[in-house]
Amino acid sequence: MEKDRIISIPHLGRVEGHGGIEVEIENGKVTRVNMDIFEGSRFYEMLIVGKKFTEISAIVSRVCGICSAGHTLTSQMASENALGIKVTQRTEILRALLLHGEAIESHALHLGCLVLPDLLGYDGPLIMAKDYPAEVTVALNLKKLGNAIQELIGGRAIHPINAIVGGFGRIPTKAELLQLNTELQKGLDLSGALVDLFSKIRLPEYTTHTGIYAALEPKQDRYSYLGDYILTSDGVKRPIAEFRNICHEKVVAHSTAKQSLYNSQPFMVGALARINLNWQFLGGKAKDAQQKLIPNLPSHNTMHNNYAQMIELVHSIERSLQLIKMLVENGLEHEEPIKYEVKAGKGIGAIEVPRGTLYHYYEFDDEGRIVDADIITPTAQNLANVEKDMRGAVEALINEPVKAIRSSLEHIARAYDPCISCATHLVEVKIK
Amino acid sequence: MENNKPKIGIFGLTSCAGDQLAILNCEDELIHLANALDIRDWEMAQTNNDNTTLLDIAFVEGVVAQSRDLEALHAIRKRSKLLVAIGTCAVWGGVAAMKNQIPRDILKKEVYGEEINVVDSMPALPVKSFVKVDIQLPGCPIEKDQFLQVVTSLLRGNLPEILQFSVCSECKMSENACLVIEQGEVCCGALTLSGCNARCPSHNIPCGGCHGPIEEAHYDANVTMFKTHGITKDDIEQKMAMYAAPAWIPDKLLAEK
Repeated sequence: MEKDRIISIPHLGRVEGHGGIEVEIENGKVTRVNMDIFEGSRFYEMLIVGKKFTEISAIVSRVCGICSAGHTLTSQMASENALGIKVTQRTEILRALLLHGEAIESHALHLGCLVLPDLLGYDGPLIMAKDYPAEVTVALNLKKLGNAIQELIGGRAIHPINAIVGGFGRIPTKAELLQLNTELQKGLDLSGALVDLFSKIRLPEYTTHTGIYAALEPKQDRYSYLGDYILTSDGVKRPIAEFRNICHEKVVAHSTAKQSLYNSQPFMVGALARINLNWQFLGGKAKDAQQKLIPNLPSHNTMHNNYAQMIELVHSIERSLQLIKMLVENGLEHEEPIKYEVKAGKGIGAIEVPRGTLYHYYEFDDEGRIVDADIITPTAQNLANVEKDMRGAVEALINEPVKAIRSSLEHIARAYDPCISCATHLVEVKIK
Repeated sequence: MENNKPKIGIFGLTSCAGDQLAILNCEDELIHLANALDIRDWEMAQTNNDNTTLLDIAFVEGVVAQSRDLEALHAIRKRSKLLVAIGTCAVWGGVAAMKNQIPRDILKKEVYGEEINVVDSMPALPVKSFVKVDIQLPGCPIEKDQFLQVVTSLLRGNLPEILQFSVCSECKMSENACLVIEQGEVCCGALTLSGCNARCPSHNIPCGGCHGPIEEAHYDANVTMFKTHGITKDDIEQKMAMYAAPAWIPDKLLAEK
């Protein structure tokens, strides 16, 4: 085995956005591990400066097609926080339901279309479908279920239009919700089949470093994607307004995305971080799935992020059924979005989107126009940790053939479900 | 293995990947599509792509916002018989083109600081600014039914037709109350290309213009109509420019750089 090598994956496939991996080995030692990001910058925080709070969520939704509902709602919550708007309980339920739809769609896409082909040795889901039509169909049907929720509640599966600052434009009818309920019941059975399939696949373990994890603390002792406090695995709890203490940013030469560190250390956000920190709040079939897939928690195997997404997929279906029940029981008469006065202010919004904690921070002038904005995406927070994991894997596999190292690097990167379009927009702009 | 299926590629330039996701959202049709088409190159959905074969059809999402995009676009055009621009970014520039008048050097400095110049960036422009485009399917994101219609037409050997009528017409067919006339809202439906079945106005939300302008909108008549409801030309232009700035501010602001 030659001692100096460069292992290069110029185009990382089956991820959202454009990225690559480069590893340099000199004298048998790993000298460089880079997750390269080549996605073009769209300068989102610059785009929204000067825009009114009513226009912002539609613009920032376009940061990412896959987590567009998450960006839309985080943005609206940041604006409401700045303007002192308190939304109704029904709006909170509809928002939670929309986020579950996004989680179901995103996790089903990642698990069924991007990860499963890796584990079963195919180049992609459509190629895999020739040998495994039933499995691919289950994944696609779950994905479709997530989209059905987003269509109904958000008004569109990608870039929702029905959610606005203060509430929703149109409230779904009872008949529409009951139809969704039927589809969710079927989806719950399908998700059980996918849990069984994943439980039969042993995930590789490339690194066993003890990691640092961060996630929002659920509000009401129930596993949730919403919360007002950030928990870290060192036992510290902070209000979301202190997000900058969690995400110290640095600019790196090989990437158009900045990287994030916590106490100078890489850390992980996303499904595994949430399960590691909040597993005790799981119930029902999601709890069963957790005991089947990751019985020993916390898990420090990054590949388990795939199992954690599987558990969350089950949870989101079960929770959606409960939320629909609440909506129908509470009545569905028309409700106008909350009226509010425009004023100057600062606001923060945070949501656990499929890939981890998303933060939007805005400052408005007295006409309700943005003067300062900061968007911190989960993938950007994870980048330093991806590199740390990849370095660990290469060190462990250093005498293996290049092919084995390459596939381990791809597996690790894909386990994080990176959203490179999002990561590219970790930028902060101050207008003096 | 050679076959008679059309060879296709699906590509993303700088974008949110929402249009490629809209294709993946054709859950009921995806496996049939994969059987009818020979998908040679699709980085978002498969690995070990073939990036040299000549393609019958290339679908391109996103804007040209860096030299890397431009190189990729020229390479795609060179190897493709037909190029279909999908999504409002590829067709009109999308949200990324909203502030093309700000010099990139200023943006880079504000975002990444003085010390490091990592960003390869140029004003965001649609695909047609650089290469010949055969079919344009806007939408932010594209509507999957329209995408499937385009693919079916192409499979039959026809050039698909994107019907040029407005969101306003679809809204009237849905019998919605007019948000301009009834509520004085800045609704772009009269100037915006249809295809969404008037999604926004059907949810009591004014049209934001995300499909971009229709080719032959009666622009002046609409300005007069908006004026009678207290909406200025500037209001409507600002709003339409959110998704289709290069269409409304054609290159003239770029020249100030």
